[in-house]
Amino acid sequence: MRRRDFLKVAATSATGAVLFAGCGRIGDGVPETEFKIAQPVYTPNDWAFGRDAWFATAAPPDQGGYGLIVRVFEGRAKKVDGNPDFPGVLGKSDARAQALVQELYHPDRLAGPQRAATRGSGQFQPISWDSALQGVAQILRDAGGERAVLITTRPSSSQAAIIAAFQRVTGIRHAILEPDELVVLRSAVRRLFGVSTLPIPDLANASFLLNFGAEFLHGWIAPVQLARAYGEFRQGRPGQRGLYYHVGPRLSATAANADRWFPIVPGTEGLIALAIANVLLTEGAVPRDRFAPYFAALGLDEARLTNDYSPERVATTSGLTAEQIRELAHALVEHEPAVVIAGTNAAASTNGLFNLVATLGLNLLLDSLNQPGGLLLNPEPPLPELRIADDAILTQRQWAELFQQIQSGTISTVLVYRANPVYALPPATGAAEALRAAQHVVSFSPFVDETTQLADIVLPDQAWLEQWGLEVPDPGPGFAAVAVRQPVVQPFVDARAFGDVLIQLATQLGQPLPWASQEEATKTLALQLRRLGRGNIQAADDKQFLVTLQAQGGWWDEQSRGSGTVPSSPVVQPREPSFAGDSAQFPYLLVPYPLPSIGYGELAHLPWLQALPEPISTNVWQSWVEVAQRTADELGLSTGDVVRLITPQATVELPVYVNPAGQPGLVAIPFGQGHTALGRYAEGRGVNPLTLVAPENDSDAGTLAWCATRCRIEKTGRRARLARFEGMVPAFQLEEFPIVRVMAPSA
Amino acid sequence: MRYIRLILFVLVVLVVMAIPLALVLARTYFLSPTAQPVKAQPIQFPHQVHVQAIGLDCTYCHRNATTSAQATLPALELCMQCHKIIPSQGRPELEKLVAAFQQNQPILWNKVHQLPDHTHFVHSVHLSFGFQCSTCHGDVGAMGKPGVKQVRDLRMGDCITCHQQNGARTDCSVCHY
Repeated sequence: MRRRDFLKVAATSATGAVLFAGCGRIGDGVPETEFKIAQPVYTPNDWAFGRDAWFATAAPPDQGGYGLIVRVFEGRAKKVDGNPDFPGVLGKSDARAQALVQELYHPDRLAGPQRAATRGSGQFQPISWDSALQGVAQILRDAGGERAVLITTRPSSSQAAIIAAFQRVTGIRHAILEPDELVVLRSAVRRLFGVSTLPIPDLANASFLLNFGAEFLHGWIAPVQLARAYGEFRQGRPGQRGLYYHVGPRLSATAANADRWFPIVPGTEGLIALAIANVLLTEGAVPRDRFAPYFAALGLDEARLTNDYSPERVATTSGLTAEQIRELAHALVEHEPAVVIAGTNAAASTNGLFNLVATLGLNLLLDSLNQPGGLLLNPEPPLPELRIADDAILTQRQWAELFQQIQSGTISTVLVYRANPVYALPPATGAAEALRAAQHVVSFSPFVDETTQLADIVLPDQAWLEQWGLEVPDPGPGFAAVAVRQPVVQPFVDARAFGDVLIQLATQLGQPLPWASQEEATKTLALQLRRLGRGNIQAADDKQFLVTLQAQGGWWDEQSRGSGTVPSSPVVQPREPSFAGDSAQFPYLLVPYPLPSIGYGELAHLPWLQALPEPISTNVWQSWVEVAQRTADELGLSTGDVVRLITPQATVELPVYVNPAGQPGLVAIPFGQGHTALGRYAEGRGVNPLTLVAPENDSDAGTLAWCATRCRIEKTGRRARLARFEGMVPAFQLEEFPIVRVMAPSA
Repeated sequence: MRYIRLILFVLVVLVVMAIPLALVLARTYFLSPTAQPVKAQPIQFPHQVHVQAIGLDCTYCHRNATTSAQATLPALELCMQCHKIIPSQGRPELEKLVAAFQQNQPILWNKVHQLPDHTHFVHSVHLSFGFQCSTCHGDVGAMGKPGVKQVRDLRMGDCITCHQQNGARTDCSVCHY
């Protein structure tokens, strides 16, 4: 190149680069509204004093439905916190509640009703509310209620009342989709204690907690209530620190809090419980008459328990030694009051129901039911309308039957509210095929998730912080409690509350419901609480009652306690766990686990929760395979190696995280990722473990046993970077400050 | 004379390199907040009339400046306390105000002072320290139609310089929290 050409090229490219860069404006990519400032017509409350306002409301039903407060300034919800007055949580909240503002202001929220261009294309066109409602009403009129099904996630208590009324006038079937572990837990509690509400361990007054696998500090049934009580359990009583033993296959974040972790083979929790009962019986540690209901529930007698379930026998299958089992039994009687809980993995084996009945039944032997420091049963909701029908909660087996009916045309119309069966059920259940075969699919989800993608019409629900409702926390704090949900901000988009839409549909069908709106239903039901003549609110009239209820965030009655019955006939037979896959071909057991942040994937669209590190590995935003150090050494793996994870069901490639505290022989994988829809933050990252696990059922409960599949691992030779906190910046030793003591493993 | 061609080449290269540098500096200058033209607003609001002619204090309308983070715009009902007795017929800007109030429509103004992302600014703290509104906003009271112009840079460099000059903390968490 000649000198002159070089100069030309240099000058042109440098100038061009600057000029093109200069074409952009400051703030490109920021929505236009961010450069606007609104002058309201009337002075908002918070402006009158220049201070922010806090409004009481309630957590979503699948997060426990407890009381929250939300800071609002200039009409925007800024911060969520626990309601300091609400029983059980007393001002505490968790990351999932904090992230509710992200649901409200999510960029992928549907701004109004939509109609699909063609079903399954994922392309929607906005339509008006009038034409959307007319369209859905016409569908229901043509199909008839008996040929339609309404699939929902766990509804709020007031939504349950509206759904029940809608069912009465249309005859539509209602089906509730809940995580399998909760379906098994509800079934176990109902059969064992005769109650349909979940119990709560009174940790604050307990001396010893024996936990079989329940992730009670990081998810499970009531993480906020239980984490607060756990603080009391450990540090709330001067000079007395509660003792916590964890029995489970994986060192989860909850297990890492325990004083001792007893690693076991997944699914052997029930057998260990029987061995503990065996020790208590043979050593005479608890009175013999307490064994009668336990024997009755499990169809056992003294001879069978003594002969078949000795610690030595159970030790061969469970992974514990006989001595360790005896230690657990002794700890239960040495530290009174003691309480036993079980869940998560324990419920997801092929013998899940037996595991929960055998473990929770130990509370009968300890006589800890409804005792201070024991397992507190919760009362039924204070009003029958607020009850959520138990028979609407379907098991995996029932889902498969329902989708079969849809495919065969017996059911032609599917209404889906916030449930995502296409993602949350294993592909073998046939949810996607059924929805494709259905004549009409209507979704009420505020986001386009995998199920909504298959809908013809979407009538988006309002965010939780925009609508009215009543919530009976499940589990409650041990007595009757109801949280009230009220809108804390004006609706952000043109969505309508699900209850409002049902009420309007019923009106269009010519059979109006007793209420004109979800707000009216909420207030009418709340005033029925006043008619009960008890509880925390003293009010001279209805208006004062409602104002006090909204200001306090709820109604509760500490005198209204739960009571149950003890079983008199067998509810389940002892059963050993089984695993899909040949052990020679698939040497490891696959243990999926829900994440404390995004749970089973229903919250994967919220970036705050995606970015919240999994407490043990500190990984974020992706899926990974957790293997034990010994397994990694055998296979020559280190953190970041990409491996092929092969189960009898499927093969995926994922990066490895080597956990020095992992149990050899197990391979763990988190739930929650692997979305193909649900917005920009959820889509296209990681793997959904439900595509990996074999469709094994718990034959007693009929639920999916997602912890019953074998697998193997193959190296691919590739590496991938894991987004994580731990080990990103190397730790180093300061010479003059020997803070980090390094010790060889053999020392 | 032997090296004249080399010297010339080096000089030309330096000039060529100086062009983008000059352009970058020019871009920074012309895109700086103070270099922006006065933004078009839904109503051409004359501060001059309200402050200089009538003598209103800034905090008569921006009521929360002394007590909270935001100075806040007044609600239309505050404007209407006076403007309901001031004739608006034939005065198009006032007609817009009255129409907005009667139709219950908030007015969306274009922000003149844009707080950078990830930054908190608390008006009350700065006023308590003794600053005047005009320290940052300039003599807004003298700005008439068509509207307010930003007269001070008010970006991070400006904030830090002022904090240093006045002995205020300059660690990150003062503004980024």
